[in-house]
Amino acid sequence: MRLAVCLAAAFGLVLAALPARAEPVDGGHATVELVSEREAALPGETVYAALKMDLDKGWHVYWRNAGDAGLPPQVLVQPDSDVPAGNFGDIVWPLPHILPVVEGEIMDYGYDDQVVLPFPVTIPEDAVGPVTLDVIADYLICEDTCVPETAHVRLRLDTDRAEPDVRDGDLIARWIARSHVDFPGEARIDRSKSPWTLSLRLDGGFGKVDSVRFFPYSHEISHPASQPVERGRHGATLLLTPSGLGDVSGPLEGVVVIETEGGGRAGYAISASEGAALPDTSGLGPVREAMGVSPFRLAFLALIGGLILNLMPCVLPVLSMKAFGMVSAVSSGHAGEVRRHGLWYTAGVLVSFAALAAIVVALRAATGPTTLGFQLQNAPTVAVLALIMFAVGLWLMGMFELGSSLQNLGSGLANREGDVGAFFTGILAAVVGAPCVGPFLGAGLGAVMNQPAVTVFAFFLAMGLGLALPFLLLSYVPGLHRLLPRPGKWMETLKQFLAFPMFLTAAWLLKVLGDLAGSGAVAWTAAGAALLAFAAWVWKREGALPRSLAGLAILAGLFVPLERAMAPAPALGSSTAYAAKYEAEPWSRDLVAQRVAEGRPVFIDFTASWCATCQVNKATTLKSEAVHEFFTANDVAFMVADFTRKDPAIAAELARHQRAGVPMYLWYPAGSSEPHVLPEILTQGLVTGLPVTP
Amino acid sequence: MFSRRNLSLAAGMAAAVALTAGALIASTATASVGAQPGDPAPGFTAMNSYGEQVSLADFAGKTVVLEWTNDGCPFVRKHYTRPPGNMQALQADAAANDVVWLTVISSATGKQGYADGDRANQLTEDRHAAPAHVILDPSGTLGRLYDAKTTPHMFIVAPDGVLAYQGAIDSEASASSGDIEGATNYVSAALASLAAGESVDPASTKPYGCSVKY
Repeated sequence: MRLAVCLAAAFGLVLAALPARAEPVDGGHATVELVSEREAALPGETVYAALKMDLDKGWHVYWRNAGDAGLPPQVLVQPDSDVPAGNFGDIVWPLPHILPVVEGEIMDYGYDDQVVLPFPVTIPEDAVGPVTLDVIADYLICEDTCVPETAHVRLRLDTDRAEPDVRDGDLIARWIARSHVDFPGEARIDRSKSPWTLSLRLDGGFGKVDSVRFFPYSHEISHPASQPVERGRHGATLLLTPSGLGDVSGPLEGVVVIETEGGGRAGYAISASEGAALPDTSGLGPVREAMGVSPFRLAFLALIGGLILNLMPCVLPVLSMKAFGMVSAVSSGHAGEVRRHGLWYTAGVLVSFAALAAIVVALRAATGPTTLGFQLQNAPTVAVLALIMFAVGLWLMGMFELGSSLQNLGSGLANREGDVGAFFTGILAAVVGAPCVGPFLGAGLGAVMNQPAVTVFAFFLAMGLGLALPFLLLSYVPGLHRLLPRPGKWMETLKQFLAFPMFLTAAWLLKVLGDLAGSGAVAWTAAGAALLAFAAWVWKREGALPRSLAGLAILAGLFVPLERAMAPAPALGSSTAYAAKYEAEPWSRDLVAQRVAEGRPVFIDFTASWCATCQVNKATTLKSEAVHEFFTANDVAFMVADFTRKDPAIAAELARHQRAGVPMYLWYPAGSSEPHVLPEILTQGLVTGLPVTP
Repeated sequence: MFSRRNLSLAAGMAAAVALTAGALIASTATASVGAQPGDPAPGFTAMNSYGEQVSLADFAGKTVVLEWTNDGCPFVRKHYTRPPGNMQALQADAAANDVVWLTVISSATGKQGYADGDRANQLTEDRHAAPAHVILDPSGTLGRLYDAKTTPHMFIVAPDGVLAYQGAIDSEASASSGDIEGATNYVSAALASLAAGESVDPASTKPYGCSVKY
């Protein structure tokens, strides 16, 4: 009884402490929620709110330009809203993905799985007490078929203080970081002949780029047409197919999305005026893997990979066993039978590899074409991949044995005589070869993952053919078997050596993970790897206790890193994000006094990773070329006060300027000890127009 | 020596290789931009919902409207819903002015909007529609010939056989029938211009709607 009362009291307390979070609304095929970076905001403040949409599997919603079909989502502010429609700003659209509806014919632009659409909201100056944002999300959602849906969502904000909502602020900040920034270079469009030439000039070029695609704001170009790209020393050119639609006299506007090695995406808003191609934006050949490597080149590489597989310690014994059997068969005058066995063996290998290709294609279809291509953006996937690479390395080192029972079963079938035996030997070679395929398949698979299904099949079949080729040759040219390397200790040495590329791959994946989810996730993944190594080591001890310990270690070693990697990444790491542009110094009052005494102007960015407005200012203004030039020209000392974790000194400084939270920007003209407090929303013009002297 | 078994195996593998290569070549075909206003409208012969052959050439000297449709698509429903029955009114006007109205269904078998002859005729009756013909194009041949992208997607062929208009039915890209009033109807504007012997403006707009379910 007393327990029940206590529980009830505790429950009541929890309820009272809960913020006025609005419930998500099920619109039909999407769950929609109105979220904000703040729990409370002061009258007159501009904060970021967002529509958070979780879409049913396979369904998608659209970008600001939906492409050939579809409509973008809209935020309809209701008459009852305490914050009127005029106080809502434009949606900050995250970079879209291509949604090919009919390959080569109908192309849409949009999002699947989850999308967060942020927009600025200004709290009315005269707000008293809590205000409610009352909007209808009006969106078209499509799978094969389309359904217009609405979700009536509300959000209450207190206006008596300023208080962040760390969880949603973090979410919104991360999605704002997935939007575009203004192109820091120059863009030109040459529409004098078809196809049009879009040239993008950026000093130093775009670096290592996987693909470049232009997403137009309007419909002047054909959406499904491919956009051949050529790189140059200082930029790139794209060939665009005109659609014959719309006004083509003004500049061509849209977003250029650049995908870099490892799945990173960057987007630049461009407004390309008419003009001949800019210098140094072509001449270096197509972008690596631009619109797909030639399938024939891929197949050739796969063939080589398959040939190398024959040298693997897991495959060579199978091959030798058969080869020796062959010698005796030929010597007893059964050459015809040997040739037939060669073909059956080849068939066995090809069937296995075709099955593997089918599994890959089916997995891709099940997880959605747009998501799998960017799997290296998904932190838990990267963590698990790193652990798998590490575990394969351990296996190659001989730390543990794998699949011997499977191999024995296969050997049983393969030992059967005749054609059936040859066929199953082929399957066996593919199955036991599979663990060794890792180093080759990993790289190849990455290359074909975004390719059409036929290319995936061609890739796998070519690799199978490579694996089968030596035996096929041997069966037709019997004398060749003398050239076959003998199985021996060297095989084990080669296998162990191959562990090192695996470990290096794991190290690279850890670097990717660090960029995605921070150093904590990297540390936990490394700890998980240690647990896996421990499991392999303890497994060798006989008995139930070591075995169960090993099992526990494997579970913990996989689960903990996965769980840690799921924690949201710090959005655009606070001061480090500036590293490329500025020498940002961590803020302290003493340092400000010192820099002021030196006679330098000082700019201070009070920021936090969960503050969406801060990320917008960072992207649109502080990291822009114009501001960078202004700061450099005037020898401005740039300081960052990171409020991601509550810091009493920073809190005191905010309070001193009558601010309850970030963002806050302070500007000390040279020699002045009293700062200007800048507005919360920065523009390049505002910053570059700051007075350098008091 | 090749045995017969050897030969059939080798032939099988050769066929697999050839098929893969063929598929690769087919997949590299590029996107077409389709018929553009000012060009001669592509000629065609297709089957209507009564199993009769219909050719564009049959209507030489008359204005012809092509309407791509899919009765399950919310954008199509917007224009068929009664009131106001926007599409039906356009069709009735066309019939009264000797304009040939062809409703085309390019949904593939099993896809949303697919109709055989009986279903197509039932739809016409249920919706009180008045097209001259409903053309069944489950293979998508006619749709691809005109590069029809959405439902609805409207094309108008002038009496001289030149494509006079392609694009949206009106200026309000939405799925709500409340937006019909107040929108500029590009189809009725184009038909009026053709009847008055004036040039059609705009002659090309961005169609809106669901994708055609090829």
